[in-house]
Amino acid sequence: MDFAFSPEEEAFRAEVRAFLRDNPPERFPEDGMDAGYGSGAHSRPFMQALGARGWLSMSWPRAFGGQERPMVYRLILLEELAAAGAPFGPLAGCDQTAESIIRHGSERLRTEVLPRIARGDATFWQGFSEPGAGSDLLSLTTAARRDGDHWIIDGHKIWSSHAGISTYGLVLARTDAAAKRHQGLSMFVVDNRTPGVDVRPIRSMTGGVYHYEVFLDGVRVPADYLLGREHGGFTQLLTGLDTDRFWGRFYKAPYLRRMLGQLVEYANATGRGGAPLSRDPVVRRQLATVATEIEALRMLFYRAGWLIQQGRPLTYESALAKVMADELGQKVAALGMELLGPYGPLAAGARWAKLGGAIQHMYQTSLGHTIAGGTSEVLRGTVAVRGLGLPKAVA
Amino acid sequence: MDFRPTESQQLLINTAREWLRRRCPDELVQSVAADARGIPEDLWKEMALLGWPGLLVPADLGGSDGSLLDVLLLVEEMGRAGLPGPFVPSAVVATTLLLTAGTTEQQRRLLPGMAMGERLCTLAIAEEEGRAEPSAIALAASPGGRVTGRKLFVRDAHLSEHLILVARGAGGLNLFLLETARPGVSVAPMETISGEKCFEVALTNVAVDAGDLLGPAGGGAAALAVGLRAGTLARTAEMVGGAARALDLAVQHARTRVQSGRPIGAFQAIQHHCADMLRHVDGARYLLYRAAWKVESGQDAAADVAMAKAHAGEAGLAVARKAHQILGAIGYCEEHILHRLHKRIQAASVDFGGTGEHLETVAAAIGLE
Repeated sequence: MDFAFSPEEEAFRAEVRAFLRDNPPERFPEDGMDAGYGSGAHSRPFMQALGARGWLSMSWPRAFGGQERPMVYRLILLEELAAAGAPFGPLAGCDQTAESIIRHGSERLRTEVLPRIARGDATFWQGFSEPGAGSDLLSLTTAARRDGDHWIIDGHKIWSSHAGISTYGLVLARTDAAAKRHQGLSMFVVDNRTPGVDVRPIRSMTGGVYHYEVFLDGVRVPADYLLGREHGGFTQLLTGLDTDRFWGRFYKAPYLRRMLGQLVEYANATGRGGAPLSRDPVVRRQLATVATEIEALRMLFYRAGWLIQQGRPLTYESALAKVMADELGQKVAALGMELLGPYGPLAAGARWAKLGGAIQHMYQTSLGHTIAGGTSEVLRGTVAVRGLGLPKAVA
Repeated sequence: MDFRPTESQQLLINTAREWLRRRCPDELVQSVAADARGIPEDLWKEMALLGWPGLLVPADLGGSDGSLLDVLLLVEEMGRAGLPGPFVPSAVVATTLLLTAGTTEQQRRLLPGMAMGERLCTLAIAEEEGRAEPSAIALAASPGGRVTGRKLFVRDAHLSEHLILVARGAGGLNLFLLETARPGVSVAPMETISGEKCFEVALTNVAVDAGDLLGPAGGGAAALAVGLRAGTLARTAEMVGGAARALDLAVQHARTRVQSGRPIGAFQAIQHHCADMLRHVDGARYLLYRAAWKVESGQDAAADVAMAKAHAGEAGLAVARKAHQILGAIGYCEEHILHRLHKRIQAASVDFGGTGEHLETVAAAIGLE
């Protein structure tokens, strides 16, 4: 066993840190009003800065303009961006889409979309969930029918993160109505500017907008913007699901460590009952407990990442890590709210707000994390069946 | 980054698991929990033939030159089996202390025999406060003097030929290497629910001299810290192994126990408990491995060791309690192994620093002033 990063990897980490020092994250404008959903704000200018360094395509094959750097470099990049609170929100989606296009995209997608991803010009939303299809994704009804060298999509997607500030959607639609539920689905890359795409914001409990619903009304998509195999969309989605989950949450341990650092500073600097809050043995134990759990979480993600890098299949690992990541996020946020006391619920920007109002925002958004991308209940079932060999649960 | 054990470590794990399955079945764990000795002599001799008590001992002293991680992987398997006996106190803690602080003469006198399984040594540190911690030591003893007092929670003192006594002296800590047969030393069992054999060691006017010192007079703290760290990690490994076994038992039961026409493992409530247990086991295991790796690679590992021990304590006990819930009434029976594993995890969780003490180390490490 060896948990060290190589000298080359450490050098890359130093390079990312230097970049973040020279380009403070707060200098980059954010694209949306509630773009920081825990994973860093959505900022295309920041993505373009990463693109200019070649970091968005660094692990792609050389044939597609990449540098074929091992996956661990992407982990290091994400870790440092999350630790710095950088606005890297679209990054995981870009990585996953690029991987998917490289693996089974058409020549046209490869030439038209990949370079835009590499430059940081393209960001993505996922059009999977529908009003009637949440955890039971297979009940989706959005349909695409072939019309010459186009597909025409009609339907209604919802809870699509960043949809109003991204460039493309990945839309899962039924292409064969006669097929069984899990067959006959295909994945499409849909340009946001296509006529018939109507993106409407959903205001969340934070007062901001992170999610959108998207109405698709006769949306004409070129046939070679079908991503992967016709009618093979669900299998593709499933195959990528474990790694998507991994990339979608890997940032969480460094992000939580950053938030914990803020709470530690707050406890050191805040007096209560004539002594710093940091001297309270209960507070010390609470913060030390979550610090320990954050490190355990980091190790679960490292192990899953190592399995992916080895080309070994994940069975339960990323599902388990996601459950832990999102529940621990709620725990850290709740602890933060308790420590801040009556200052906790002050709005961001309020005169007396502490830590910039970040803790209440974290507290609110953390409620969405255990639902989005697989609920904790569904994922515990995945762990039990695929990780422990228990029988499929009775529905 | 590499999560794989080396080939020789994997061989050690496989050998240990297979041997423990055959030679240390649940019935044996149950029977020795009740007897006074705590481990059958032939079992210990066989372990010696496998080279286990000498795993940390250098080859020129009759050992097999193993690493800390080697021994922790072995102890994890022992924890899984619920293996009783003096392995951790003698082959890990006392061996580490002898290797760290012993003179060549002391090492030659004790370690070959310990490696061969012919003699045991144990650490006598805790007093009435119940903490294996330098600041909790009141007993004073200096070379050329006589010592009267008492040590508690001394593991396997009844089988040990020697004990390492920790005392105040010369402005610091003195470690003495004493024979348990020395006049004035007496041992009395402290009955436990875990089946671990703990003793009160009473010292009445016991003569100690400079030749008994392990390490420099007043300078025992540094070596002691190394020994305590090894003990902390070994107890953590035991908990990881015990919790992994408790999870196995729960999953096995959930797969096969049929109620209302289906295995109870098909009910979401049971599935969700099992998923949480796996999270606890995995998290505790990888924190342990990383802490051990940090120690071995010479990095400052204080916070990592503390995190590993604290997390394994909380997670291990949570797993044990959930396993009881899933096994239902059968797990509550004396004849079932689960309660033995549970009690061993509990005992380990408070040994070499409890969760609260280790979390205080973490609190300081994350910058709380």
